[in-house]
Amino acid sequence: MLTLIVGALMQGSVYGLVGMGYGLIYKASGLMTLAQGDMIMIGAFLGMTFYKYMGLPFGLSLALVMIIMFTLGFLIERILVTSLLAKGAAQVYVILCTIAISMILQNGAMFAWGSNVMQFQAILDLSISIIANNDQADRLQEQAVGIFFMLLLHFFMQHTKFGTSMRAAAQDETAAEALGINVPLTKGTAWGLASMLAGVAGVILGPSYGVYTAMGALIGQKAFAASVAGGYGNMYGAIVGGIFLGFVEAFSVYFVSSLYKDFIAFGILILVMIFMPNGLFNEQVME
Amino acid sequence: MEKNQNTLSGFFRNNRATVIGVLILACAAAYMLQTRYLSMVLDFICIYTIAVTGLDLLFGYTGQVSFGQAGFYAIGAYTSALLSKNMGIPAIVTIFLGAILAMIFGIIVAFPASRLVKHFLSLLTIAFGQMVYTFVNSNSMTGGPSGIGSIPKISIFGFTLSGYQRYFWLVLVLVIATIIMKNNIINSRIGRAFIAVRENPAAAAGMGINVAKYKIMAFAISAFLAGLAGALYTHLVGFISPDTFTKDQSNMFMTMLLFGGIATIVGPMIGATAILAMQELLQQFAAYQTLIYAVLILIVLFLLPNGTVGLYTNVRAAIAKRFRKAREGDEHV
Repeated sequence: MLTLIVGALMQGSVYGLVGMGYGLIYKASGLMTLAQGDMIMIGAFLGMTFYKYMGLPFGLSLALVMIIMFTLGFLIERILVTSLLAKGAAQVYVILCTIAISMILQNGAMFAWGSNVMQFQAILDLSISIIANNDQADRLQEQAVGIFFMLLLHFFMQHTKFGTSMRAAAQDETAAEALGINVPLTKGTAWGLASMLAGVAGVILGPSYGVYTAMGALIGQKAFAASVAGGYGNMYGAIVGGIFLGFVEAFSVYFVSSLYKDFIAFGILILVMIFMPNGLFNEQVME
Repeated sequence: MEKNQNTLSGFFRNNRATVIGVLILACAAAYMLQTRYLSMVLDFICIYTIAVTGLDLLFGYTGQVSFGQAGFYAIGAYTSALLSKNMGIPAIVTIFLGAILAMIFGIIVAFPASRLVKHFLSLLTIAFGQMVYTFVNSNSMTGGPSGIGSIPKISIFGFTLSGYQRYFWLVLVLVIATIIMKNNIINSRIGRAFIAVRENPAAAAGMGINVAKYKIMAFAISAFLAGLAGALYTHLVGFISPDTFTKDQSNMFMTMLLFGGIATIVGPMIGATAILAMQELLQQFAAYQTLIYAVLILIVLFLLPNGTVGLYTNVRAAIAKRFRKAREGDEHV
């Protein structure tokens, strides 16, 4: 049972970490991306390349991954999404644009790293002796990294000047602009942060999942589900929603069958959307 | 002009573009039917046109996005395959049973969907598609990952539609029926209600339109057509597996629709033809296929915001403008 709970928490915090990215993007620009899952995958591949093949220290690899992922997300927003919106395209076209980006990322990763499943060693070499099982020690480390980044993001959003201006821009674009806040920059930063979080999730997931081109697709969708369940656009809701989804999955594996894990997870998501369309944190989603 | 509407020559004069288009299509079809491979492509174009037409009624006319059409497609396909193979019901009946079951699921999905907007609708439809995929992939009844093989062919009055060429006549009849149905819907009260719901749900409700009812109706029609297309696919190929019904299939329907142009009669046809032709031509570059496909979506998004049909309209408007200018110039001289 303890294993189950640890697993659920771990899985849930990954969903939460990635889900926060969806929330950030939605808050900042009112848009939705479907490329978040592939950002996880790119992050994992980059992390593996830096850490395993180039032999860089873990901290440096992670920092490099974060910088690259941030730039990638930032550029996608600045170059593709903004110019699409400037043409007066409806929001659904932005979704389609992110679908195209996700295909390009997957295909690009296939060219760069091949289509095999790759492995790399657990990242931090901390020896946690509370739980004997090695696998669980890995997972706890992953969770610790995840929670660390959640706290970091919280600090950034609440206690730095730029975080405050991001929140201001999300609340009222025109007013923020009038106060001299660079709104386009905050939007780009939100996309950048979102893909950075996904990249971090990729690096911490890599060792236990194996790294391959389609690794992010399902996690990305579930993280989206998590952020909706928690109240879309609410960063903290995404964490709660993620952990909720993690528990749902872990228990459906335990009590039903691992085959129906995804079926149950998405079914519950649909039920949440029907009966609690505002999520756990009461965000407005209906017409 | 209007006086002549009832006579045959008047019909041709009023619908010149349509008549020419149909003649060109007929010639192209006749040419393609000569070889087995091209007939297969032709069958697929028809099947996809049916599915994309359904999506157009939902997204193009009613403004309800669906990234889960593959779910309905799968329901139609599996229902028809299982009923015709295991229960011995004639396949010509089961394709419609499959479509009806897909429609029932469409209505079930539509109830919550009619209350959601934008991203949440996208998510709901994605979740639905994903659920159907997981279900067929993990269920013993549907054959799991290995799918269902040796599905019976469709036969009408003892005449078996065994080859691609023969199959074409069935899908052709159904495509024509679909297009006529769509044309009738959009020119009726229902179609106008659809457009009103798309343009402004609040105003539509204010005009006394039952918004939820029309959203559900649009979902039902699109699910029916997607299910029908899935069932037709099943009996054409004779083998189905979950791989066909992933989210990529849903995205493909969406791409076809956007490429062709939304809220038009010919858009789905053009989109289905163009994307399928592209896929077939790119087959030799298997590794690059997805990449080219994705770049293509971006090109469509950035350069053809209204699809191919929009391009045609723009070009025609530009030419007309130039002619008008020239004529005005003559008058001044």
